[in-house]
Amino acid sequence: MIKVENISKHYGTLQALDNISFTINEGTCFGLVGPNGAGKSTLMKILSGILLNFDGDIHVRDWQVSKDRLKIKQQIGYIPQEICLEDTLTARDNLILFGNLYGLKGKELQHRMDEVLDQIGLTDRVKDKVVTFSGGMKRRLNIGCALLHKPGIVIMDEPTVGIDPQSRNSIFSIIHQLKAEGSTIIYSSHYMEEVEQLCDSIGLIDKGQLMEFGRMEELLEKYAKPSLFIAGEGIELGMLQSFGEAEAKGNGYLLNSEEPLLTLEKLVAHCREHRLEPRRLELYHPRLEDIFFNLTGTQLRDA
Amino acid sequence: MWAIARTELKKTVQDKGLWFWTFVLPIVFIVAFVAIFSGDESTSYKEVVTQIIPGYTIMFAFFIMISMVIVFVKDRERGMVARIASTPLSIHQYFFGKWLPFMIVVLVQITVLFGFGVVVYDLPLGDPFALILLSLALAFIVTGWGMAMAVIVRTENMGIAMTQILALGGALLGGLWMPVEFMPEVVQNISKALPQYWALQGYKEIILSGGGVGDIWFHLVFLIVAGVAGGVLALVSYPRFLRQSRS
Ligand SMILES: Nc1ncnc2c1ncn2[C@@H]1O[C@H](COP(=O)(O)OP(=O)(O)O)[C@@H](O)[C@H]1O
Ligand SMILES: [Mg+2]
Repeated sequence: MIKVENISKHYGTLQALDNISFTINEGTCFGLVGPNGAGKSTLMKILSGILLNFDGDIHVRDWQVSKDRLKIKQQIGYIPQEICLEDTLTARDNLILFGNLYGLKGKELQHRMDEVLDQIGLTDRVKDKVVTFSGGMKRRLNIGCALLHKPGIVIMDEPTVGIDPQSRNSIFSIIHQLKAEGSTIIYSSHYMEEVEQLCDSIGLIDKGQLMEFGRMEELLEKYAKPSLFIAGEGIELGMLQSFGEAEAKGNGYLLNSEEPLLTLEKLVAHCREHRLEPRRLELYHPRLEDIFFNLTGTQLRDA
Repeated sequence: MWAIARTELKKTVQDKGLWFWTFVLPIVFIVAFVAIFSGDESTSYKEVVTQIIPGYTIMFAFFIMISMVIVFVKDRERGMVARIASTPLSIHQYFFGKWLPFMIVVLVQITVLFGFGVVVYDLPLGDPFALILLSLALAFIVTGWGMAMAVIVRTENMGIAMTQILALGGALLGGLWMPVEFMPEVVQNISKALPQYWALQGYKEIILSGGGVGDIWFHLVFLIVAGVAGGVLALVSYPRFLRQSRS
């Protein structure tokens, strides 16, 4: 279990994290979601034992971060937001460097390198210099360097920023494989869909504050009520309000309803009667995006 | 620790700029200045080469600071400093691993430039033990100061500018270009606070006066203490350096 207790962090006068607490069960995937500048990387760096000056405490298993830093570091694989590789050296040299830093040597290191290279799909490029790699390949090697020592906890800070869909998929399959092996994963992103797809529990962070924390389904149930989406000529807010609570969304309207199917029936009848032909009329499934909007009043993407 | 040192050494060997600054340029300078000054009737040939070869060796040894600044600032800017801080490697091991390859480069540089002097200009060497100790002390101070500067400067350009001030200003005031005896007394007093001065006086003591370790002990202590000060400054500045690391 990873227990984060009342973490606060200041950079000078700027408060990057404000009294954050949560717990992650081992073997699960935790997603930290928030816009740029929310404090995700700061929290990741504290969890990885990089930043030492902060208030609060972190427990990992039976260890306390303030006392057992080395033991915790040996259990963690930190994958930074930036690509941290020696790009004038080969992939192999980079893997050896990080393997050595975690105390791996000789046959054991060679064996783990083979396994990891297979996992990140770079076996045939191992002798090439990193400068010759594409962005996606660098990202994968960046991940591989943190997996050599078989960390029980993998911390990934926005691993999919700025890469093509194909590389993103291969990173997802690495994550699924890690999950299957029972690793604990702490994953940060400002892409909602990724976190929805990968994570068991999530924390929503904005301006250094943890706005919400919990299991994915719980949060979706709690915040984003089932609703209908309707758009088209002649569809107006006034008319919709007689069916329930309505609000504008995108180029149409969102109609909240406790019984969406029933409301849908009524809406269809109404449209027939008034000869309205909506362009879209559908059940709307609540997304993480909506929860974030409900909590902060800002869209994640333009934030 | 060795992993860091090995990696750094590999990068260093591939760095063409470093080869140019460290070996090619100093040899060009030495050849040019020996040609210019050996025509001078009033000073002996031995004095000329003992001024010029150790003098330019010392001056160019200081330029290792530029390479160190570039390596450290790059590591900070691409988040490598934070990445390494997430591994079990201690701060001391980190610095030792980063420092060792540069120490080796400077020692090779001194060996090559003096070797060049011996082969081409019959540079006498004097007591080998004293010579090796003094060269170690010289490599130690330039790399110690290099680490301090690399960790403290905000940008690469600032580091390059400061190295040039230290290397060229120190060369001028420390008597590397022209013996301090020819300079005004005020300047001569400033010289005595500069590592360049003590390094050159040490080499002259060994080569021209046949001095041994006993004759240059103060020179050695001065250089080593200054080098240690640089190392300590680097260690003390590390937390801020880490905080500024990206990602
Ligand atoms: N080394 C630093 N010094 C000063 N301020 C920083 C530093 N690192 C991050 N910040 C600030 O802290 C806040 C949180 O940053 P960060 O944790 O990187 O957010 P995120 O990863 O969610 O984009 C931002 O306002 C950022 O400008
Ligand atoms: Mg970030």
